[in-house]
Amino acid sequence: MSGGPAVTVSIESTCEKQVQEVALDGTETYVPPLSMSQNLAKLAQRIDFSQGSDSEEDEVEGEPRDREWNKQETEEEEGTVKFQPSLWPWDSVRNNLRSALTEMCVLHDVLSVVKEKKYMALDPVSQDPAANKTPQVFQLISKKKLLGTAAQLLLKGAEKLSKSVAENQENRRQRDFNSELLRLRSQWKLRKVGDKILGDLSYRSAGSLFPHHGTFEVIKNTDIDLDKKTPEDYCPLDVQIPCDLEGSAYIKVSIQKQSPDIGDLGTVSLFRRLPKTKAGTQQWHVKLEAAQNVLLCKEIFAQLSREAVQIKSQIPHIVVKNQIISQPFPGLQLSISLCHSTGEKKNHRASPEKPKPDDHLYVLEHNLHQMMREFHKQQLSSVVMPHPASAPFGHKRMRLAGPMAYDKAEISNLQQNEGLLEKIIKQAKHIFLRSRTARTIDSLASRIEDPQIQAHWSNINDVYESSVKVLITSQGYEQICKSIQLQLNIGVEQIRVVHRDGRVMSQHQVHAVQQLAKVMGWQVLSFSNHVGLGPVESIGNASAVTVASPNGEYAISVRNGPESGCKVLVQFPRSQTKELPKSDVIQDPKWSHLRGPSKEVHWSKMEGRNFVYKMELLMAALTPCP
Amino acid sequence: MEAPPVTSMPVTGGAVNMMEYLLQGSVLDQALESLLHRLRGLCDNMDPETFTDHELVYLLKGQQGNPFILRARRSLSHPTSPWHLRYLGQPEVGDKSRHALVRNCVDVAASHSLPEFLNEMGFRMDHEFTANGHIFRKGVMKIVVSKLSRILVPGNTENTERLSLSYLVELSGLAPAGQDTVSEDMRSFAEQLKPLVHLEKIDPSKQRH
Repeated sequence: MSGGPAVTVSIESTCEKQVQEVALDGTETYVPPLSMSQNLAKLAQRIDFSQGSDSEEDEVEGEPRDREWNKQETEEEEGTVKFQPSLWPWDSVRNNLRSALTEMCVLHDVLSVVKEKKYMALDPVSQDPAANKTPQVFQLISKKKLLGTAAQLLLKGAEKLSKSVAENQENRRQRDFNSELLRLRSQWKLRKVGDKILGDLSYRSAGSLFPHHGTFEVIKNTDIDLDKKTPEDYCPLDVQIPCDLEGSAYIKVSIQKQSPDIGDLGTVSLFRRLPKTKAGTQQWHVKLEAAQNVLLCKEIFAQLSREAVQIKSQIPHIVVKNQIISQPFPGLQLSISLCHSTGEKKNHRASPEKPKPDDHLYVLEHNLHQMMREFHKQQLSSVVMPHPASAPFGHKRMRLAGPMAYDKAEISNLQQNEGLLEKIIKQAKHIFLRSRTARTIDSLASRIEDPQIQAHWSNINDVYESSVKVLITSQGYEQICKSIQLQLNIGVEQIRVVHRDGRVMSQHQVHAVQQLAKVMGWQVLSFSNHVGLGPVESIGNASAVTVASPNGEYAISVRNGPESGCKVLVQFPRSQTKELPKSDVIQDPKWSHLRGPSKEVHWSKMEGRNFVYKMELLMAALTPCP
Repeated sequence: MEAPPVTSMPVTGGAVNMMEYLLQGSVLDQALESLLHRLRGLCDNMDPETFTDHELVYLLKGQQGNPFILRARRSLSHPTSPWHLRYLGQPEVGDKSRHALVRNCVDVAASHSLPEFLNEMGFRMDHEFTANGHIFRKGVMKIVVSKLSRILVPGNTENTERLSLSYLVELSGLAPAGQDTVSEDMRSFAEQLKPLVHLEKIDPSKQRH
């Protein structure tokens, strides 16, 4: 009844039907049980309505028994209901029915009397109209109040929910801000001043002496609307960098032919190189890095311009606006400019065509950055630290200047002479010289085909020195004819050429012949690097060689000069000459095997792709097969 | 000679008048590690530098009241380094709002014959002590954390006895006369060291007894 689910209880009477008859085949015929109305009628017949409830005391005697009940039932067939003490459980029913009968009789009597309208009359009761409506309004008001209470409860609950949701979001944002701050702190120097968080993006802690404060401020990004969805690149942290470090900057170093118009100075285009941002880096990181780069570029340019003004040199350097112009070589102009673009406004004075990318020497720009950082590092070297501790900072060796009584020359030796500008000019000179040498060698190599010119540039170079080995060989005969090897050391202002043996190029051919003769088995009869006969050469001297065939019958003479070209003569044995000078003295035929007059070879018509090849063919032709 | 290359002071005859700005404090031995750690983080990024010095204080008593004091200091860890002779003037009393002690300072490097020379000049050694500790640098400022020890036998630097159970912390900066920017930097730096060590200006004349 309370709590548990309703259990259906079915009540079945174990009514054993009385067997009326048993048939011969075993089937039993039951006495049909009494129906409800029959049962009720049977029971009602036993109630004695004439007996009142005051006669209940008599019922105490004896309990009704079925036998007695059955026996008494037969006595009641007359129809009169006598009070039976065995009907005690039905007594209340009997009494209630009796009182109901009484009431009904009274009502019947009253109604019959009222119907006559003589002694009693019925009057309708007047209805109060207000009484009807007040319950409605009252109901309305009460309903309203109830609804109001319910609504208030719901509202309170909703308020609490929304507050907790907002708090969660706030917490998340707060936590995000803190974790971002932690990440920021792991990469940049931060400190708390009052209630502001300031940071330092200058290179001062790395040894710079540039008087820029480089302070940035970290602010919380609170302009986010909680209702709207947070944007993808939302960052709860924002940095505010000093206004003069905004945008991006780089230093452009370029070498050009001297511009005749000096009015062009100071109008360097500021085309913006788009910085590549790695995916995943925060906005503040990109901003801070760019600002730091701008600061470094400014420092480099300030140092360069200061040196340009202070250092005395033969050709003075010009410093105009954001450009420094100097002349490393006559006719050549080196310009170093600081290109700083703030990014907001487009620079309308950009040059009409995009500046040539190879105009900008990236290597020198990189070197400038490196040298600046090198300078910073020197400031921090432990050489500067004083021992004893009370001494002021300064280079260790400079401190000895006093006690050791150094003179001015020694002190100037100690101090660093070269500034940034000088270094970069030297490097620019070297680069220019190197490129000029390379171009010259390449043009020569492409122009001169016979002896081939090969240039091997060494990979390991200095900023001020490079070297290249030039080999002059003939194609196909590199192993035998490798006499000429030049090494060029390209410095800042000069090129030093070191020959292997100290020879001029035209001698190469003659040497080649000499080597070839060794290979072919020909005998070298004479060889001279500088012949004194024949036309005088303007550069160097002509050289000549004479080689004889293995059997001695033929001889080849070669005279090669740088300007006169090469001349090849072949000496034939006397027996092969057309005309035989008749002589009475020489009788023996063996003398006809001696070499006789010589004939010139039309060298240009000879077959063969280069000199040495032709020579080889010639030698082969003159060597008779055995 | 200590000014960064960007600024240049107009030199009016002789050498530039240098002023020393000084703030001092002390930490107990137990707190040394945390102080060193913090200094390492705040100062310029260099390898930590330790030093061992021996200082002699020379007095020249004249007819006037105040004797003339010169401090000669040499490094025991770098014996070949020159001696350092220092004169410190009276602290400037002009500006009460200035946070650091300011006094005139003259620094001279000297050869190893300095003690004999001073003796010849008439100076008498008043006292000597050894100091060893760490030295840091931030820009123009120098931070020295040192432990002072008394020398028991004059001239013998091996036999020393600690003067106290704490370390002396000194924050100093050298600047030409007239430039006051160092003072601000020193004040903000001292602020950053606040909970670990309190650096304040201690007037040496008030300490004299």
